[in-house]
Amino acid sequence: MSPVYKNGAPTTDPDQLHDQFNEVWGNPCGWRALTIVNHTSIGLRFLVTGGVFFLIGGLLAMLIRTQLALPGYELMEPDVYNQVFTMHGTVMMFLFAVPMMEGLAVYLIPKMLGARDLVFPRLSALGYFCYLFGGVILLSSLFLDVAPKAGWFMYTPLSSSAHTPGVNSDFWLLGITFVEISAVSAGVELVVSILRTRTNGMALHKMPLYAWYILVMSMMIVVGFPPLILGSILLELERAADMPFFDVARGGDPILWQHLFWLFGHPEVYIIFLPGAGIVSTLIPVFCQRPLVGYRWVVLGVLTTGFISFGLWVHHMFTVGIPQLAQAFFSAASMLVAIPTGVQVFAWLATLWLGRPVYRVPMLWLVGFLIVFVAGGLTGVMLALVPFDWQVHDTHFVVAHMHYVLVGGMVFPLMAGLYYWLPHFSGRMPSERLGRWGFWLFFIGFNVTFLIMHWTGLIGMPRRVYTYDTGLGWDMPNLVSSIGSFIMATGVATILLDIVLHFRFGMAAPKNPWNADTLEWATSLPPSAYNFVSLPDVSDRHPLWNNPDLPDSIARGEHALTVIDHGRRETWGTDPLTGKVREIIHLPGNSWLPFIAAALLAALCLSLLNKAYVLALVATAATLLVLLRWSWENGAHPAAAPDARTQPGEPPLHSRTFDGPGLWGMGVTLLANGALYLSLLFGWFYLWTVSPQWQVPEHRLNGGLMLASALLLSVGSIWLHRLIRHLRAGSHRGLLPQLALLALLALVQSAMLLWLLLAAGLAPTETAHDAVIFVMLAYSIIHCTLAAVLTGLQAWRVGYGYVGDAAPYEPVVVEQLWYYNLGVLWISYAAIVLFPASWGGA
Amino acid sequence: MAREVANVWWAMFGFAVLVLLVVSGLWIHAMLRQPRETGAEQARRINRRWIIGGGIVLPSASIVALLAFGIPAGRSMLPLPIEGEQPLRVEVIGHQWWWEVRYPESGVVTANQFILPVGRPVDIEVTSADVIHSFWVPRLGGKLDMIPGRRNTLRLQAAEAGVFRGQCSEFCGTQHAHMVLHVEALKQDAFAGWIETRTDLSHQPAGGVAGQVFADRCGQCHRVAGVSDGNRAPDLSDLATRPTLGAGVIDNDAEGLRRWLREHQSLKHGIAMPSHDDLSDETLDQIADWLETLGPRTKQEQTRP
Repeated sequence: MSPVYKNGAPTTDPDQLHDQFNEVWGNPCGWRALTIVNHTSIGLRFLVTGGVFFLIGGLLAMLIRTQLALPGYELMEPDVYNQVFTMHGTVMMFLFAVPMMEGLAVYLIPKMLGARDLVFPRLSALGYFCYLFGGVILLSSLFLDVAPKAGWFMYTPLSSSAHTPGVNSDFWLLGITFVEISAVSAGVELVVSILRTRTNGMALHKMPLYAWYILVMSMMIVVGFPPLILGSILLELERAADMPFFDVARGGDPILWQHLFWLFGHPEVYIIFLPGAGIVSTLIPVFCQRPLVGYRWVVLGVLTTGFISFGLWVHHMFTVGIPQLAQAFFSAASMLVAIPTGVQVFAWLATLWLGRPVYRVPMLWLVGFLIVFVAGGLTGVMLALVPFDWQVHDTHFVVAHMHYVLVGGMVFPLMAGLYYWLPHFSGRMPSERLGRWGFWLFFIGFNVTFLIMHWTGLIGMPRRVYTYDTGLGWDMPNLVSSIGSFIMATGVATILLDIVLHFRFGMAAPKNPWNADTLEWATSLPPSAYNFVSLPDVSDRHPLWNNPDLPDSIARGEHALTVIDHGRRETWGTDPLTGKVREIIHLPGNSWLPFIAAALLAALCLSLLNKAYVLALVATAATLLVLLRWSWENGAHPAAAPDARTQPGEPPLHSRTFDGPGLWGMGVTLLANGALYLSLLFGWFYLWTVSPQWQVPEHRLNGGLMLASALLLSVGSIWLHRLIRHLRAGSHRGLLPQLALLALLALVQSAMLLWLLLAAGLAPTETAHDAVIFVMLAYSIIHCTLAAVLTGLQAWRVGYGYVGDAAPYEPVVVEQLWYYNLGVLWISYAAIVLFPASWGGA
Repeated sequence: MAREVANVWWAMFGFAVLVLLVVSGLWIHAMLRQPRETGAEQARRINRRWIIGGGIVLPSASIVALLAFGIPAGRSMLPLPIEGEQPLRVEVIGHQWWWEVRYPESGVVTANQFILPVGRPVDIEVTSADVIHSFWVPRLGGKLDMIPGRRNTLRLQAAEAGVFRGQCSEFCGTQHAHMVLHVEALKQDAFAGWIETRTDLSHQPAGGVAGQVFADRCGQCHRVAGVSDGNRAPDLSDLATRPTLGAGVIDNDAEGLRRWLREHQSLKHGIAMPSHDDLSDETLDQIADWLETLGPRTKQEQTRP
């Protein structure tokens, strides 16, 4: 039995409790709204911003369909058309699908888990502003007529400076990388929040299914986005600094870009689909009023999908000329993913079979989802068959397939979810009639547009052509598609109208209007910033079905953590497996820092776009300072938790343990970082073995110097390890001088690497070989210097008393970075010193 | 060859429609039906039946069938060693936005048209001079990417004589839409004749003033056997026998050629050929007249049907 936390609240009057909580958690108005870090506000901002980007992406689609409606029709010049279709894909994928799904998760996850906020609230805010600024920068290129125009997967050499001079591709590479900061940071935050902040008793196997889906999605983002981030960095370095990673003549290979892109790009499809499926798995039980059949099967299916999706990327490259055996492997793997998806589809079906489904608007969207998505899945299995893929690859068949999968797997569930959670956002119910009109227009329009498009592709129309000749049999199907797209647009407008009107005319939502089972419906509608005045214990998967009175008892403060006179924002920190309470996590309050940091990053992005590198350097330094200032307000700092006392019987504050969420945050961030580094390593070995004109220059790296640096880092890591062992034993004697010395050691060790880099005589613009070594060394220099700075900062904080035996957890966080750097440096040493020596026989 | 893939497609299509109908039908039926009360044990049995039967057995069986049935369909497109008559080798090089076609065994070079013999396998070695393109003749078979620095080989075989359409299918920039390849399968002896008339095209008429202007202005990029030696743009030595200009933009006839020389920048915006606005109409006409004569020498030798 887990302990039951209840403490005598001083008052049980819900209004009084609300006032007390609002004082600590409430959101400011006016300009200060930019300081809000609360997940409810940030989640809604994500959703609204994503909705706007969806409408823009949709307008671009309308332009495409208008141009293609008739043969030879030139509404837009070819280069404008190419910008429009590139931006349509880019906006929908990067500015709509992923942020929208993350935004919904940011909004819902803490509420479903019975927590008051996400675990790194300032990071949520930073992520949002990066997304907003990055999106605006990217879209501005359209209005300046310099939008990216090499297709949303930016194949090089078409996207290189030789074939696309001008800033078009730079907008994509820099803008998307900027937006991805947001995706990855939200991914990290969701993983840690799901694992560490579930309310007391919510063991992993009692977690709502949606949280499982989001956990897997977030892990996939953490591991799946870095390959693209690395690819974008390399391609931008090629464009801006002439480093030939993808240039065949200098030993690079354009196919490397395709590998990096699809290493991200395929998981991306499931990153978009899984949260959609999560919505389906959440809604079906509610509308059937019985638990989902086969919880364990579905969880297993979701996990399997996550794993398999990283082994499929090559099926986007069957026409590249990959060896046969590899094609057969990736073909079979691509089909295998049908199994875990099939398990989910039939679990939903069995639930419907056993339950008594209620036929409401969200349910309508779920039916639409099933038909469209299953159709898309079936054509997906066909495409996994190599000879068939050779035929229809890069035709409108693929365009149709991809829209069936993505619109079916993401937009339909999202619409179901929006209708379902609308009362949660607004406190009002949507209309049934307008909602049904919207659905049918969208559903019919969608199928008219894309069903016939399979045929268009089968009879030979390639994708991405700005026009086509008459007489090829393509006229009629294209016209039908264009008409369908306008019907679909009417559907979107109807839905939009419905949602806008419901804010004004919708009936007030009753408590738990759909009689749902999950905790997000235990908040007030719309919710307060703190979600729950008291945090309930959970003993099974359906807390609201078992205890329909929960919303009221929560509001009366009958559960845990109801004392707030200390002024801290608090939520439970629980065991990742059992969900038993381990500590109280105290969360930072509203802050300008996320906004300022994102603004500085935007300045960095803009100065890189304008090739103002001095300014870029200034912006980087300023960002770093802001982020350091951010980390300063932690632990025993007056703005965090100077007073560590808790109520009798309550566990300690996380900053007074070795178990804070920061530890997990750092771990997951390093996982993402490791995925980035592994992608670089992959690139190195890929180029060595596959690049058609790989060249190894004469000169050799000073291996001895690199070895010395790695050894020094090893000594430092052992030293830090012993230091932290002492700290864990309760002694912080000598912590300050030793941390300071360690910082110095890391600095010396980074300087050795820098010397190595400068003295090696590398010519990174002449061969891909030297360019990769340059990046690999620079990577370690940056990370080791960062470790030096953070360790020095810790020493400084010990001096202030913010860190020490009473508040010991920050050095443990920094320790992970040291081990990470250590691993990376040794691997790099093996890869760039030992491997070539043995391979080249020198 | 495309026929095998077409058969695979129709089989897959039929099966997919069946699955879609059954799954959607079951789903809608499940929503509409009035369920009886089910005991816990019975419910568990139903669950297992659905999830294991529908979620695991059905897709697994379909995948095995699909792989067993589908993989052989692709083998004939692979450049595997064969017995008997060896495949004809052809090199096709993608350019923004035209096709360079070379027959290394006979030394014949042409552009934007690809002539092949009926009934003999052809190994097409594809590569690119700039960005990634993709070689595709839908009616003959699958596509293969043309990648700078690499040489990929695709094997095709035309079952009967006829004209086919090829089009670049990897997005390659501004004029990706206008990169069409005229493909023509000729009976073996007609093909042999076609090759033979082109093995020596060096006796082209010098063309007087027109030829001179061409050699000065256009010869840097275009080759005309015996006149100029450029290699950045299509070889024009047999221009008169090609069906279209600009890789499918406009018909290659007297009027089309004259329009192309004057309006190529608007007909195919973004191409590398500079504007000829500074040339007089008279000179352009003379050049067009001369270009119309480029090709195999006598009418009888021309093999275009």
